[in-house]
Amino acid sequence: MLFNSLHFVVFFVIVLALNQGLRPWPTAQKFMLLAASYYFYGQWSWMYLGIIVYSTLLDYSIALGMVRVSRPRYLLLLSLATNLGLLAFFKYANWLIDNWNAASDAVGFALQVTPIDLILPVGISFYTFQSLSYTIDVYRGVSQPRRNLLDYALFVSFFPQLAAGPIVRDYEFFRELDGEKRVDAGDVQRALVLIAFGFVKKIVFADNLALYVDPIFANPSHHGFWDSLLAVYAFSFQIYCDFSGYTDIAIGLALLLGFRYPQNFNYPYFADSVQEFWRRWHMTLSRWLRDYLYISLGGNRHGNLHTYFNLMLTMLLGGLWHGASWNFVIWGGLHGAYLAFERAVLFRLPFWNADNALMRTLRWLLTFNLVCFAWIFFRAKTFGDATTMIANIAGAAAPAFDPARHLGMLLLLVALLAVHLLGGWKGFKEWLARERGPVFAVTLATIGLLLIWFTPAATVPFIYFQF
Amino acid sequence: MKTLLKFVAPILLLMVCEALFRLGIWEGMVKPESHAGTSVRLKRALNDPAMQKLDFVTLGSSRPVYGIDHEALARIALEHGAVHANLSMPGSHWMTVDVLTEWLAAHRPNLRGGVIAMDLTTFMYPGNGSYELAIVAPFRGFADDAVISAHVPFKRDEMASWGAHSALYQYREDIQDYIKAPLQRRESVNWWNAMPAADVLLRNAKEAREMCEFGVDRVAACDKVDSSTTEAANGLRHQCRELRGALAGQPDFAALMRQQPMPDYLQQVRDNIRSRLRALHWPRPPVVVLMPLTGAWKEASPLGLHEWTLSVLQPLVDEGRIRLIDATDALAAADNGGCQQYFDFFHQNDSGRQMLMDAVLPQIRAALYDDAPAPAARVAATNE
Repeated sequence: MLFNSLHFVVFFVIVLALNQGLRPWPTAQKFMLLAASYYFYGQWSWMYLGIIVYSTLLDYSIALGMVRVSRPRYLLLLSLATNLGLLAFFKYANWLIDNWNAASDAVGFALQVTPIDLILPVGISFYTFQSLSYTIDVYRGVSQPRRNLLDYALFVSFFPQLAAGPIVRDYEFFRELDGEKRVDAGDVQRALVLIAFGFVKKIVFADNLALYVDPIFANPSHHGFWDSLLAVYAFSFQIYCDFSGYTDIAIGLALLLGFRYPQNFNYPYFADSVQEFWRRWHMTLSRWLRDYLYISLGGNRHGNLHTYFNLMLTMLLGGLWHGASWNFVIWGGLHGAYLAFERAVLFRLPFWNADNALMRTLRWLLTFNLVCFAWIFFRAKTFGDATTMIANIAGAAAPAFDPARHLGMLLLLVALLAVHLLGGWKGFKEWLARERGPVFAVTLATIGLLLIWFTPAATVPFIYFQF
Repeated sequence: MKTLLKFVAPILLLMVCEALFRLGIWEGMVKPESHAGTSVRLKRALNDPAMQKLDFVTLGSSRPVYGIDHEALARIALEHGAVHANLSMPGSHWMTVDVLTEWLAAHRPNLRGGVIAMDLTTFMYPGNGSYELAIVAPFRGFADDAVISAHVPFKRDEMASWGAHSALYQYREDIQDYIKAPLQRRESVNWWNAMPAADVLLRNAKEAREMCEFGVDRVAACDKVDSSTTEAANGLRHQCRELRGALAGQPDFAALMRQQPMPDYLQQVRDNIRSRLRALHWPRPPVVVLMPLTGAWKEASPLGLHEWTLSVLQPLVDEGRIRLIDATDALAAADNGGCQQYFDFFHQNDSGRQMLMDAVLPQIRAALYDDAPAPAARVAATNE
């Protein structure tokens, strides 16, 4: 069930009405939200709903057990092994088999393994990370185990965030769950703005940019300099609009149900360093990787070389988290290298860090282009396709600009970048969300017109659903 | 109350936009080369001060656009001190007749009569697909959704059909196209706007090409189209796909007519057409001309289609509501199956128009201007 489907709209209106109606009875309200969340997931696969239930029961029991046993480390290892094992099985089994087969082929070792017929459960990367963060926090003593199974089940499966985040921490969720969950007119206005902007980002921009990007990345060898260059920048905005659009909708829907979720994107292309980019892009995943991986590896506590190694390893695993492909590993590796290079070189150069407009612009320009370059590997189907795209852009062939093909896309991308930078600069969305009737009405009506006029005929799923 | 207003205001604004689009705010920007653009051009010409007196009109699809001698009809009208305008448009079906005649009733109440030129294939289905919504959009009334839905029902999965109920949706593709090249659109609109109204409403479409390289008398002519690499063949491939598709799914209307009850869609075709023609209160009964069909289309059309069409129209003839000129076979006996009279599988060229007019113009003249009522006529196949 996609957010941009009529089925979901009907479903959500019913849930919203029940949520309001059941406010005097919190337990019934939680039961209803859990049932709705399971129904939401069941519409995709009732069978795979079993994995969520299994993961929920296991981590719930483990967390309760941790405060009772003398050696909780073993219980933590069990949680890690089970959750990561499930993730590895569904996400990486066939990739490992493919690599094994290729390697054994290369060395003439005739032991081929047949790939397994598997479908990746939607949202598994998100809910396993969310569930894991809970057991780790309980182990670390940051959180207390939740005794109410209903509460914990809802934490793992709450439908606005289930498919693609944001990845919230247990204390953030339970604070909202235990709170009054009062939704006033200001909240509704904020939620509607978030949802409306989310739909515009997803449907009007991401889905239409995909129409330009997809054919070029599907056959990069058939395209030249301008096609390839614009496709890379267009994909940079497509993935931003797609994913941040989804999270805007998710956060808006949660807000309508009385749950205030943390921000997940903060104008990431406004960043003037890659480090800052990761503080603005998929913020809840960055936070997860920092708290549970980078810091667990030692963070920056053991000298420069160790820090660079930790950064690289964290980003490599972060890349692999996105999908079972060497291209994702390269994408993560590039970001690890960027971060290490910034720490080792750029952050130590006083002129580079000067606080003036010229240097800020140069820093922003470098960061934006480094991030866009890495997206090539993220989007390309194969390593060969990625290198072809790079060769198209860096190649010696004279670039021919065809205004009929390229001018419109170039102007659209410049406009998107301008709006993005304006938003990052002045907090446009917050300004809009304040109590101003006419601005709110005109904005929402304009968004309605954009959706009517520019929704592509075919529904395109959210990119991050595949992760 | 203030809070409620705040949340209702965006919806109200959208409704205002919908109303403005229904009132025609976007018509000045519509792509002139599109279906809607043709229709807007016609509406603009009708609103020209020089065209305020209008006595007779010709309505119909692209077949009369090419197949009827509009200049001759205008000349005859002039001889009688009247004005006869050509309002036929490519892609028009009975929904266009519905909407256009309603518009004429409201804006040209002194209209005396007209020619409705259709062909047998327009009697097969209640509608001709959602693209016809673009043709009728500039002429639609404010609350005619029910009339439109009878021809193009709303389908949730087919966004083009949403235009039946929303002018904002109706102009979706046009606005998308405009965004891609706004300056080009402006130039194109200005060029078309400079065209005099008389050129739009009183002139013939010229077409000299013919079909003797391939033939038009059999669907098998498409085999020659397939094996040819000429530009002419490329332009015919789409029509060949339609022809073969029709031949493959050829229903038997003769049998369906005898079914009790008759299939719903046939009843709907019959009822829509009859109720429309009965609702026309022109001083002269409308002259319904059944335009010639090529042999290929007769082969691919449903069995018994001609019989079905006449069964729909004959009661109206008997009631004196319409005059019928059946020219379906008017060019059938021409040399080589009429290949010299057509420029594709649908449309007549200048020579075909001349041959048809030689056969039907006297009857049209009589029906529109003579006092004595003319009986229904079937135009004999000619071989001139």
